[in-house]
Amino acid sequence: MRVNNRKLRGWTKGYLFILPSIIGFSVFVAYPLLSSMYYALTEWSGYDTPQFVGFDNFKYMFTEDPAFWPSVRATLYFVLLSVPSSLILGLLLAMLLNKSLPGIKWFRTIYYLPTVVPSIASLTLWLFIYQPQYGLANSLLRLLGLPEGTWLTSEKTALPSLVLIGLWQVGSGVIIFLSGLQSVPQELYEAAEVDGAVRWRTALHITVPMITPILFLQLILGIIGAFQAFNQVQVLTGGGPNFSTSLLNFKIYNDAFGGRMFGYAIAEVWVLFVIIMIFTALTYRYSNRFVYYESDNAR
Amino acid sequence: MAMHTEARFRRRRKFSLLDTLRFIILAVGAVAMLFPLLWMVTIALKGNNDVFKIPPEWFPRELHWSNFVTGTKEINFWQTFGNSMFIAVMCTIGQIVSSVLVGYGLARLNFPGRKLWFSLFVGSLMLPGFVGMIPLFNLYTELGWYDTWLPIIVPAFFGNATFSFLYVQYLRTISVSFDEAAKIDGASDLYILTKVLVPMTMPVIMTMVIFSFQGAWNQYLEPLIYIIDPSKWTLALAMASYKGTYATAWNLFMAADLIYILPMLLIFFFGQKYFMQGLGSLNSASLK
Repeated sequence: MRVNNRKLRGWTKGYLFILPSIIGFSVFVAYPLLSSMYYALTEWSGYDTPQFVGFDNFKYMFTEDPAFWPSVRATLYFVLLSVPSSLILGLLLAMLLNKSLPGIKWFRTIYYLPTVVPSIASLTLWLFIYQPQYGLANSLLRLLGLPEGTWLTSEKTALPSLVLIGLWQVGSGVIIFLSGLQSVPQELYEAAEVDGAVRWRTALHITVPMITPILFLQLILGIIGAFQAFNQVQVLTGGGPNFSTSLLNFKIYNDAFGGRMFGYAIAEVWVLFVIIMIFTALTYRYSNRFVYYESDNAR
Repeated sequence: MAMHTEARFRRRRKFSLLDTLRFIILAVGAVAMLFPLLWMVTIALKGNNDVFKIPPEWFPRELHWSNFVTGTKEINFWQTFGNSMFIAVMCTIGQIVSSVLVGYGLARLNFPGRKLWFSLFVGSLMLPGFVGMIPLFNLYTELGWYDTWLPIIVPAFFGNATFSFLYVQYLRTISVSFDEAAKIDGASDLYILTKVLVPMTMPVIMTMVIFSFQGAWNQYLEPLIYIIDPSKWTLALAMASYKGTYATAWNLFMAADLIYILPMLLIFFFGQKYFMQGLGSLNSASLK
C-alpha cells in the first residue's frame, strides 16, 4: 500500500510537470481542431449562433465562389515556385560556404543577416524596393540599361516577386544545410579522394545522399510553411492584381475577419488543411526512397 | 626539393582556380544580400526631397540623422516599441519556463502515458497554425480578451512544443547521475531542475530565449486579429499600417523601420553563436 502511494505520488508529479503542455494542447490544439469540424458545416457570422447548413459551405466553395479556384491556383503556384527554389538555392549556398576561404565567417554572417530582419520590416522594405518609379529594383535595372520590371503591378510578375523576397531570406536554410554538411564524416571524402573521385562526383554521390534526411525534413517543413504564407500578401498586394496573389490563407483571413463568414472560412481552412496533408503524404511517399538513414547501413 | 615545390604549386593552383570562382560567386551573392539593407540605410539618412530624385543618388549628399528623431515622433513610435518589448519579454518568459518544466517532466520523470503525450506534443508541430485561428478567436472574444494582449501572451505560458522537444533532447545528453546524487541529498525535483540542470543546459536555454524573442517580436497575424486600439499596437502592426501614411516620407519610414530591426540586430551580433547552434540542434533534434 505504501509503495502504491509513493508510485501514485510519482505519477502525479510527472503530470504536474507536463500540465502546462497538456492544457495548451487541449485548449489550443484539440479544442479548435474538433470544434472546427462542426463549425465548417455551419453558417456563422461570429456574432450570432452557428446555424447548421450541412455541406452548403463546400458546395458554394467549389461551384460558386469566384475567388476560390483562383486562390487554389495561386497557392499551388506559390508553393511549387518557392519551395524548390529556396531548397536548391539554400543547398548550393551551403555547399559553397562549407569550405575555408578568406572571409568565410563574414560570408556566413552576411547570408544569415536578412533572416534576422523582422517579417514586417522586410516586407515594408520590399514594398519600397518594388515601387515602380523610385524603388531600388527599377533603379538598378535602369542603371544597367535594362527594361523596367512590373513587379507587384502585373498579374504575371506579382507572385514571383513575392517568391523573390523569400529567397532573400534563404539564410536559415543555408545554416541548417551547412550544419548538416559539417556533420558528414570527413573519412568519406578522404576515401573518395584516394579512389580518385572527381569533385562533382563526390558532391553527387557522397554529400547529397548523406544530407538527404535534412533535405527531406526541410522539404516537408517548407511545404507546410509555404501553404500558410500570409504576411507577404497582406502587406504587399492584398491578393491582387486580379487574384494572382490571393493565397488561400489570406483569403481565409479575409472571409473570416473582413467578410464575417466564420463558418465558410473554417470550411476553407479544412480544404487547405487537406491539401497540405495530401502534399505532405505524397512527399513522404515519394522522397522516402531517396532518403539515406545512417542506421540502415547494415542492410 | 623539386617534388616538394611541385606539390605546393599544384595545391595552390587548385586553390586559385576553383576557390577563386567560389569566392567570386559568394561575393556577388553577398552584395545582393546586403544591398537592400544598405539601400534602406541610405534612404533613412536622406533629406525629404532627395528620396525622389531621378536618377537616384546612391549616397545621400548630406546625412540627415534627425530622421531618426522625426520619424519616430510621427507615429507614437516609442510607446508602440514599449508594447512590443513588453509582449515579447512576457512571451519569452512564458515559453521558456513552461517548456523547461514540461521538458524535464518528459525527459526525467516516469509516469504512464508519458510517451503518448510526448508524441501528441510533437505531432502538434505538424499541424498548421491557422487551423485553430477562428475557434480560438471566438473563445478569446467570449472571455472578454478581445482588444487586449492576453490572446498573445497567455498561450505562451502553456508550453511550446518545439522548445519542449528541444529541451528533452538536450536533457537526454546529460547523465542521470547528477539528478541521483542530488536526490540522495534529499533535493526535490524542482530543486534539481532549477539548481542542477538549468545551469548545465544554459546553451540550449539561450538558444530558446533568442528564438522565442524573435518569434514574438516578429509575430503579425495574432496582433492583427486581436488588437484594435492603436495605443495597444505592436511595432509589426504599426509599421504595416503606417506604410501608407509615410507614402511621401520614405526617409522617415525607413528610419523608424531600422529602429524596429535594431533589437534583433543587436541580439544577432551578440548571440550569433546561439543562432547558428540553435538552427543546427533544432534540426538534428527533429531528425531523431
